[in-house]
Amino acid sequence: MGEVELSCLAYAKMYLHASQFPRCSVNGLLLSSSPAGGAVCITDCVPLLHTHLSLAPITQLALTQVDVWCLQTQQRIVGYYQANACVSDSSPTPCALKIAEKIFEQCNNAVLLMIDGEKMFPGGRVPPIVVYERKDGRWALKDKHTIMLRQWEETCSIVNQLLSSGDQGLLVDFDSHLDDITKDWTNQKLNAKILKLVSPANGNV
Amino acid sequence: MSSISELYDVTWEEMRDKLRKWREENYRNSEQIVDVGEELINEHASKLGDDIWIIYEQVMIAALDCSRDDLAWSCLQELKRQFPDSHRVKRLAGMRLEALERYEDANKLYDSILQDDPTNTAARKRKISILRAQGKSSEAIRELNEYLEQFVGDQEAWHELSELYINEHDYAKAAFCLEELMMTNPHNHLYCEQYGEVKYTQGGLENLELARKYFAQALKLNNRNMRALFGLYMSASHVAASPKVSAKVKKDNVKYAAWAASQISRAYQMAGRGKKENKCSVKAVEEMLESMQITMS
Repeated sequence: MGEVELSCLAYAKMYLHASQFPRCSVNGLLLSSSPAGGAVCITDCVPLLHTHLSLAPITQLALTQVDVWCLQTQQRIVGYYQANACVSDSSPTPCALKIAEKIFEQCNNAVLLMIDGEKMFPGGRVPPIVVYERKDGRWALKDKHTIMLRQWEETCSIVNQLLSSGDQGLLVDFDSHLDDITKDWTNQKLNAKILKLVSPANGNV
Repeated sequence: MSSISELYDVTWEEMRDKLRKWREENYRNSEQIVDVGEELINEHASKLGDDIWIIYEQVMIAALDCSRDDLAWSCLQELKRQFPDSHRVKRLAGMRLEALERYEDANKLYDSILQDDPTNTAARKRKISILRAQGKSSEAIRELNEYLEQFVGDQEAWHELSELYINEHDYAKAAFCLEELMMTNPHNHLYCEQYGEVKYTQGGLENLELARKYFAQALKLNNRNMRALFGLYMSASHVAASPKVSAKVKKDNVKYAAWAASQISRAYQMAGRGKKENKCSVKAVEEMLESMQITMS
C-alpha cells in the first residue's frame, strides 16, 4: 500500500514508553495531524496502558477520550503500537489485532506497529519496529522500504539523550493518569522538550 | 560524580531506612535501590551490623534487574561466604542465572534445592517464573495450578495466576482467582476493581450488572479509585441502555451512571485547578461523558 512516515516525536515517545515499563507489555495509539489521503504521517502518539492490556473497560475509556482530544486538536487516530513484555516475541497479540481492527474501521490505511524489544539497545542501528498493514482481509507485514523515519541518526541521538537523562520517567501514559489524574496523558511538557531537541532540518514533526 | 548522600543531603541512616521501607513495601524501584544500596555497602558497611546481609540480598536482586552483573556477583559472593549452605542464597544464585538467561542451569539449581527440601516454595515459584520468561504460558499456568493445590493460601501465586489467565483471555478462570483473593482480602479495593474489569470484559447483561456492583464495592473501599468510578459509569450506562432490562432497572442504572458522571467531573475539576495543561483532559472528559450519554439514549 502507501508510505508510512514516522516522526521523531512519535518514535521517541513510543521508545520512552517501552523503556519506562521494561517488564510490562505496553501499548498506545498513533496519531496524525496531516489530512487523510496519500502517505500516512504519524506525527504523534498517545501512550495508553502498561497493565491488563486485554481488559476492555480502560481501553474503551482511553479510546473515547483520545477520540475527543483528537477532534479538539485536529488529529486523527491512524494506528496502534504495542511492545510485548516477553522480548523475544514481537508478534501481534489477539488484543493488538482487535484494537487495530477497530482503528481500521475508521481509517483505511491504519497501521499496526509492534516494537521489537530485542533490537532496543544503545547503539542499535536498526529501528526496533515491525509494521503491519491491512491487506486482503488480514494484517500483513509492510514492505520495509515504504516505512520512513526522517533523520534517523538525529532521532537516535535524541532518544539516547532522553534516556540518559532518565526522561522516560516524565512520560505519562493513560494508566498513570488514572493513578493520578493531575498527570497529563497528552504529555504537553514532554512534547515541548522533545521538539526543542529536534532541529529545524527535521522538518514538520 | 557526586554521591547519593551529597546529591540528596541524606545521612547513611536515612539511606538504610529508605532501603528498609522499599523492602517492606515490596517496591521494585531497582535503579534507586542500586544507587542507594551500592553506596551504603561501599561506604558504610561496617556500621550496618547484621542488616548488611538482607541489604546484600535486596541490592543483588535490584542489580540483576538493572543488568549490573558486577554488583550482583559481588553481593552474591559476600552472601555465599557468610551462609555457605543456605537454600536462600542458592535461590539468589539461581536468579542470577535466570538474569543471564541460563535457564537450564537455573532449573538444575532449583531442582537440587527441591530434592533437599520439597516444600521450598521459593524454588518452585522461580521455576514457574522461568516458564513465564520463556513464553511458555500454558505450562506456567499448569504448574501454578498444581502449586496452588498444595499452597492454597499463597496470595502472590493467586494474583500471578489471575494475570496469566487475563493475558490468555481466559476471563472466567481469571475471575475465579480474583474471587479467591477477594475472599481472603475483603478490604482490598484493587481486587474488587479488577474483578469488575474482568466481568465487564466478559460482557453480557448479567456480567455488566455484576461488574457495576464490584466497581461500586471498590469505591466504597476507596472513593478515589478512578478506574472503579469510570467502570461504574460505563457499566451502569450499558445496563441502562440494554433493551432487556425493566423500566425500574433502567431508571436505577441511569441514576448510578449520573452519580458516577458527576463524581468524575468533580474529580477532574479539582485536579485541573490551576494547571493549564490539564484543561485539555477536563474538557476531554466532559465531552466524553456527553458523547457516551448520547450513544446510550
